[in-house]
Amino acid sequence: MTLHWLAALLIVGGFTLGLSMVDLPISRQKLQWYAWHKWIGITVFLLACARLGWRARYRAPPPVEMPAWQQRSATISHRLLYALMLVIPVSGWLYSSATGVQVVYLGWVPLPDLVPKHKELAVVLRAVHVTLNFTLLALVCVHTAAALKHHYVDRDSVLTRMLPGSRNP
Amino acid sequence: MVLLRSFVPSLGALLLAAGQAAAQGVLIDKSEIRFISRQMGVNVEGRFRRWKANIVFLPKELGRSKADLDVDLASIDLASDESETEVKRPQWFDTGKFPIAKFVSSSIRDLGSDRYEVSGTLTIKGITHDATVPLTLKKDAAGNNLAEGSFTIKRLDYKIGEGEWADPETVANEVIVRVRMVLPPVK
Repeated sequence: MTLHWLAALLIVGGFTLGLSMVDLPISRQKLQWYAWHKWIGITVFLLACARLGWRARYRAPPPVEMPAWQQRSATISHRLLYALMLVIPVSGWLYSSATGVQVVYLGWVPLPDLVPKHKELAVVLRAVHVTLNFTLLALVCVHTAAALKHHYVDRDSVLTRMLPGSRNP
Repeated sequence: MVLLRSFVPSLGALLLAAGQAAAQGVLIDKSEIRFISRQMGVNVEGRFRRWKANIVFLPKELGRSKADLDVDLASIDLASDESETEVKRPQWFDTGKFPIAKFVSSSIRDLGSDRYEVSGTLTIKGITHDATVPLTLKKDAAGNNLAEGSFTIKRLDYKIGEGEWADPETVANEVIVRVRMVLPPVK
């Protein structure tokens, strides 16, 4: 649960930072924001791995009562969210490598370049990174809307059991 | 017609010169000039797309050998179009006023075991400093000579990145230049 909210915070922060940094004029601040954006992305990737590890060990709490189609949709959208949390940071890392800019996690751990510098490839990877992010944005909206619907319309415990102070891990 | 006649001999001379250059020059498409700069602790790689070289490499006659290079600074290939535009500005290369970086060799020393040292002067942005380029020579599969080496220049010595960009904490002073020259065998 803590991991969920930490990831949520980082995803919103990293997304907003990504949107704002691209329009900055080239400056020390711009380089700094790009660095932070990349660190956030790698952290989201690591958190997603940690959460998958956790889920492999401890089963998810049983779902509350809901129609089967909603249950299926929830499973699919959760899987997609996990997939995007893993794929989006990697697409950004690939994009950075293709532009010839190394990623140094937290200014401390240099990550290997995944592909050699290649301008045409960089253009494609940028488009992929942006498209995946807007897909994630759409999915996060659905995810949030579903949580609010469960809370205010169905009046079940789907949202509250994810809040701090609840018993579920 | 008079004009054409006076033109023909010089054209011939030009072709001859081109022929010699092909025999002893550089295979530009296989060669490259790359560099690595460090921005806020992160390596950023780039290269120059266009440059010319006048290289004569005679291992047994190093006195007659030379390696002169003209690099078209505006042909820089960096991370983004935005940074390429930025480095052409007066604070950086000022390519409007100083389009070419020039290396002129003065001597080539044999260091043994296929290692050589090319000494000369490097001029960027109208500023000239001595530069030494260590090279290692290998043969590639096609029998060409492959000369590879890297050297470090201090960008602030040449006023590359002035004003707010002079701070080496943002962009490091040291820039590693890597050259890879493919020279056809001397006939």
